[in-house]
Amino acid sequence: MTQPYNKPLPQRSPENEPFWAGLENREFRIPKCNDCGHWNWVPYPACRNCLSTDQDWALTDGKGKIFSYTVVHRGPGGFRDDVPYVLAMVEFPVGARTPIVLGTMVDVDPDAVHTGMPVKVVYEDIEGEGVTIWHFAPDA
Amino acid sequence: MSFPQRKAAIVGVYNTKQAKMLEGTPWTLALEAIQGALDDAGLKHSDIDGLSSMMYDASLTAQQMWVEQLGGRPMTYTSHGIAGALVTKAAATIAAGLTNVVCIYFGNAGMRAGPSKQRAAAEAAPVIRKAPRVPDWDFNIHGAYMSAWYALWTRRYMDQFNAPYENLAEYPVIARYHATLNPASLMGERGEITVQDVIDSPMISSPLHRLDCSLDNDGGYAILVASAEVAKNCRKDPVWVLGGGEGIYTDFYMSFTDDWINDNGQSVRRASDIAFAGAGVTRDDIDVTGMYDCFPVTMARNIEEMGFCKVGEGHEYIKEGHLKLGGKLPTNTDGGLLSHSHCGNPSGMHVVEVVKQLRGECDARQVKDAKIGAVLSQGYAVHGVAGVAILGKD
Repeated sequence: MTQPYNKPLPQRSPENEPFWAGLENREFRIPKCNDCGHWNWVPYPACRNCLSTDQDWALTDGKGKIFSYTVVHRGPGGFRDDVPYVLAMVEFPVGARTPIVLGTMVDVDPDAVHTGMPVKVVYEDIEGEGVTIWHFAPDA
Repeated sequence: MSFPQRKAAIVGVYNTKQAKMLEGTPWTLALEAIQGALDDAGLKHSDIDGLSSMMYDASLTAQQMWVEQLGGRPMTYTSHGIAGALVTKAAATIAAGLTNVVCIYFGNAGMRAGPSKQRAAAEAAPVIRKAPRVPDWDFNIHGAYMSAWYALWTRRYMDQFNAPYENLAEYPVIARYHATLNPASLMGERGEITVQDVIDSPMISSPLHRLDCSLDNDGGYAILVASAEVAKNCRKDPVWVLGGGEGIYTDFYMSFTDDWINDNGQSVRRASDIAFAGAGVTRDDIDVTGMYDCFPVTMARNIEEMGFCKVGEGHEYIKEGHLKLGGKLPTNTDGGLLSHSHCGNPSGMHVVEVVKQLRGECDARQVKDAKIGAVLSQGYAVHGVAGVAILGKD
């Protein structure tokens, strides 16, 4: 019997459902304003730039580069046995005021991680929890 | 800009004992701190008519209960935020005639801020059947926590400005030196440390080692801000609120953009510019400061955003020793959050120390002839919420 997943998971709020459904379909979506073109991460009901509520969950190619990173040697709660693990902030080059997304890195040598490194979104379906989460992996 | 200068003063301050485990509850520790500050000021609990809560539960209903505790009659002001801003807002509200004596208070017992908190919870519930659910964009989903978060800020800072880690690691050395001169500090009795000691301490979240990280302990403090009329009859000389400001932006460790560190500054810059303009003093007039110093990068960014040096040069300013007693900007002379105490919501202790400095109560760590001090509180995201107060004595 496998261990149940014991790390915090997103509550999957109804207003963000297109995002979480997108992850199940291997799509990484970021709200984009239809009035001014601004990309908004993390999502809010209205655009930060112009306050329009006319936003779409725009599809990205799931590719970005590392803005900053850390190798965690002391993990909280359910992460304590995962150390060392890499936590990365990844910039998505979609426009001005680039959105930066936080995630853990998988399939990576911690010593090889560096700022500017190209990465891609990868997906993990959490068994029995009805949610898919994202990670990053090197984009070879 | 016309801040009502010298219309209100800090008249009482008190830190409870700060330690890993203290008897009591958040309430009783805050109460002890309030009683201590009242004694320091020579005031009674019934003199307080305004409350600014720093408690973890600072809700309006919780503040109502504190009003009941402190005399059970109507008060005329409540606020919340972080300490530097609360001092400023109390002074402005007193000057406007809405309240006379505002008490800023905090207490914490048994609530850890670091990863041990979640570890203890996991061990208390050995059979976990469901993963805990948190808001959609919560950084805990990704295994982040405060030290890891500041590690990301540190790495970005180092890469953006070609800042050597060793420059930043000078800050814990300075903080520990100050703590050795403060008998109340948690770490002072362990003696001074070197940069090599910081590097040799266990890696927590690269590039941060254990000695780069804040303490995580219990404690309480209280600060009383009073009108000039009340202040003249208090036990000690008033420490005037000369100016101040508040800045707030971004959400709780969720949203980030590529202008994280830019020349225009963020919350701390806004609060600082308002504070210095309102006080009518320059950066060069400051004799002593207390700045929220949860990690070395926070200090580097503090002095940059406050305008004591240029953006990207804070690490060199630290390396050059200006923050140390005897330097041109002695800062966190109690040992700060790395070597004195981090009791959970500790920004008020930076106020307490600057007040003691301006009163000349700091013994071995006293800054000679300190007349004007600056306090910077920050938190709730890296430099997300900022509060600055400029304080002075006659």
